[in-house]
Amino acid sequence: MAKGMKAQTSPTTQAPPGPKEGREWLWSLLLGLLILGLVATVPFVGNASDLHTWTLIVMFAVLAQSWNFIGGFAGYSAFGNVVFFGIGAYATGLVLLANQPFWLGLIAGALVAGFFALLLGLSVLRLRGHYFAVATLGIAEAMREFVTVRDVGGGGGGLISLPLPSLDSYIRFFYAFLGLSLLCLLITVFLTRSRFGYALVAIRESEQAAEALGIPTYWYKVGAFVLSAMPVAVAGGLYGYWATGFDPDTVFNVGISVEMVLLTFLGGAGTILGPLLGAIAFEYISFQFQASGFTFHNTLLGLSIVIVTVFLPQGILRIIQEFGRQPAAGERRAGRFAEGVRRVRRFIAANGI
Amino acid sequence: MSFGQILVNWLLLGSLYGAVALGFSLVWGIMNIVNLAHGALIIVGAYTAFWLYTQLHIDPYLGIPLTMVVLFIIGWIIQYVAINRVIRAPLLVTFLLTFGLNLLIADLVQQFFTSDLRSINTAYAGNGIDIGSTHIAFDRLIAAAIAIVLIAALDYFLTRTRIGNAILATGMDRDAARLMGISIRHTYALTFAIGAALAGAAGAMLSELYPFDPSEGGTFTLRAFVIVVLGGLGTPWGAVAGGLVFGLAETVVPLIPGVGPGYDEAIAFAVFVIVLIFRPNGLLGKPTFS
Amino acid sequence: MSDALSQPMESDAGHGDDDSQVSTPLLQLKSITKRFGGLAAVDNLSFSLHKGEILGVIGPNGAGKSTMVDLIGGATTPTSGTIFYQGHNVTGLSPHQRTQRGIARTFQLTKPFTGLDVRENVMVGALFGQRRLSCSQARRAADEVLERVHLVHKATFKGDQLTIADCKRLEIARALATDPQLLLLDEVMAGLTPVEVAQAVELIRQINKSGLTVLVIEHIVGAIASVSNRVLVLHHGRKIAEDEPAQVLSDPKVIEAYLGERYAQKHTQDSASGFSTTQE
Repeated sequence: MAKGMKAQTSPTTQAPPGPKEGREWLWSLLLGLLILGLVATVPFVGNASDLHTWTLIVMFAVLAQSWNFIGGFAGYSAFGNVVFFGIGAYATGLVLLANQPFWLGLIAGALVAGFFALLLGLSVLRLRGHYFAVATLGIAEAMREFVTVRDVGGGGGGLISLPLPSLDSYIRFFYAFLGLSLLCLLITVFLTRSRFGYALVAIRESEQAAEALGIPTYWYKVGAFVLSAMPVAVAGGLYGYWATGFDPDTVFNVGISVEMVLLTFLGGAGTILGPLLGAIAFEYISFQFQASGFTFHNTLLGLSIVIVTVFLPQGILRIIQEFGRQPAAGERRAGRFAEGVRRVRRFIAANGI
Repeated sequence: MSFGQILVNWLLLGSLYGAVALGFSLVWGIMNIVNLAHGALIIVGAYTAFWLYTQLHIDPYLGIPLTMVVLFIIGWIIQYVAINRVIRAPLLVTFLLTFGLNLLIADLVQQFFTSDLRSINTAYAGNGIDIGSTHIAFDRLIAAAIAIVLIAALDYFLTRTRIGNAILATGMDRDAARLMGISIRHTYALTFAIGAALAGAAGAMLSELYPFDPSEGGTFTLRAFVIVVLGGLGTPWGAVAGGLVFGLAETVVPLIPGVGPGYDEAIAFAVFVIVLIFRPNGLLGKPTFS
Repeated sequence: MSDALSQPMESDAGHGDDDSQVSTPLLQLKSITKRFGGLAAVDNLSFSLHKGEILGVIGPNGAGKSTMVDLIGGATTPTSGTIFYQGHNVTGLSPHQRTQRGIARTFQLTKPFTGLDVRENVMVGALFGQRRLSCSQARRAADEVLERVHLVHKATFKGDQLTIADCKRLEIARALATDPQLLLLDEVMAGLTPVEVAQAVELIRQINKSGLTVLVIEHIVGAIASVSNRVLVLHHGRKIAEDEPAQVLSDPKVIEAYLGERYAQKHTQDSASGFSTTQE
């Protein structure tokens, strides 16, 4: 009885790339640094509204990059990672309400979330695909309920109101998120070059084979899960203070969980740049819509999810990579574009009946 | 509360939950698709019944056939347009897709009906039978009865009719069924549409019993999931079995001193995890319908 | 008759202990039973495997061969019975723990890591097997193993660019990279052309010569007969024969259960003298 066995992928599924020797990681890292560098100029070239928008965009990038550890690399579709966001928010909020320093709150949030991820992971990472996903979904919902009913924030229904930040300029929040994203980028690059990363990819591709080759899969999965929790918790803490208050429905919102997943998939799960690109692409468009009075955020999100899952489950990055892939011996160099298109269409068709 | 009242509440609630989980169980058992939009479809059913009631003055229970037809069509379309294309995709993709559909549908419902809490109050809403100190409300009794009828009808349909048998066969072994000449595409479309119709029926029943708004869908999906985990996928009656067990938990847990109401999802989750720890294939676990 | 069989040579290059462990079998199954519901996939199976041996396992489909590999490898636990490896009771160990002790296996339905190229696939074995190398060491070790299985020229190929024979080779390479003492091969020759089968047989011989004990499950009886020291025959989860190849192939029980009269008539004489190219 194979533990934690996931559904088999079809043979024509192009799996996301794994760790690579050679230079690809370096190019991805440099490109990532470039992108983050460009984004870092927003406070200078944009106005206050831009800063607001981009702060949230970078925040979503952090969420996606973190989800990538458990979902993209290890291949375990956790659908409730927003629970760590909320834990971070509430931990930090409570610390602030107790008149303790902000950074202490962030650390507390990360530790609590990490510990919670450890306990949760130990229990649910033994479950098979469907069950794991719904279990994580359920825990987030359960936590939201709990915080609401117990009024953890003290403001009625779990609401927390915080004093105005001492990081008195919103610019500092922006750079804090950006720094967090940079950290996640570096961790991701490290994963692609390390034993830990290879273990996760092996687990994703075939957990049975991974076990047979000596990988203690359970522990690596738990490790990835804990890793995916901590940056999210710090982001939650930052967000809570930045927004000077929040309620359970906001920071334990299941939509955020799913948005994390979508952004990662849109860009390319299991890649270095995928989550970052996916976050920027989707959130930017989403905010443009909102700015013009469009109130259909969930509709947009839902529709995007439908489109991405039906047509683009490999993500934009993978499609680009497919075109650029070195042809195997025998494939002609000419006509690679057409071949790439054919590959994508074949993939879409292969998933249907 | 008297023991009799608790018992009655439990049985009626359990049957109702059976109806809630029925369509979800069918789609999962036959197509191996965990339809996270199930709750949204229930909500659509509730609003359909609401619309029929407020605009055409049709009683929600009497309007169930009509509601089911509407949801059947919606389900068919969803299957053809979206679900069809991801049948062979990895689990996460279908999960994500149905969740996206859930968001989409719930949001569209909210756009049309606003997020105001709605409820339906029929003339007979408060009435019921009294046996001793036990009060059996008519509307709950009817709902439970309809639920049992639906489950029995589905069971009959699946096991005694040709089309139903085709669905079962497809659920057991898709490729073998195809080789027998069964059109998988149509079978799946039919299955999903029936699942949606059943969700609609459940929604119509719920609309009469509880107030609702567009955001309620997620709770129902989670509950349906837990009920199926409890009752197993083997037969429609599993939904009732699971519904009763789950109904028991939901009735009893808030009575524990210090707990109180409002923990619906936490209870669902706790039951879910506890069962899976001991029985990773569900309580009465079977892999597919048979 | 046994001269005609190719014998694995006593190898100094193996991982053997210096003390006289020759009498203790490397692997011992004692009354192993595995039930799935009411069905016993493996029924009261007992046998021993000695260091340096090649044990062939044959039997009709459904005889329990793959279940047996799962049991030895740790993918499933027996309903009853014990498994001893190097004298230790390993029945309760998980697959990765067994790999750490030197048991490696391949999968009948190959499971390549499709997101990694061939070299990286093998690296995983080197990284997490008995030697626990660093990334750069593992890369070198992987290339060495790929050389042995003649796959090094395809080191950068991805999973979907490999032929069936390559996939099988990759399975074996990955397992070898974990530096095992016992190698379980689950139908590695299925789907191969006669030429490829011959190559596989040669590879198994070489692996054995380098010091590994090998357990080979196959349907290609001729190949198994020529490469094994002993052959075990399973039927309905039970052992119905265990002996040298020639004896087993002429055993009436085995003929009735699996080989068929015509095969027996055709091959009893010459099966011992190297395998024929007719596939069974």
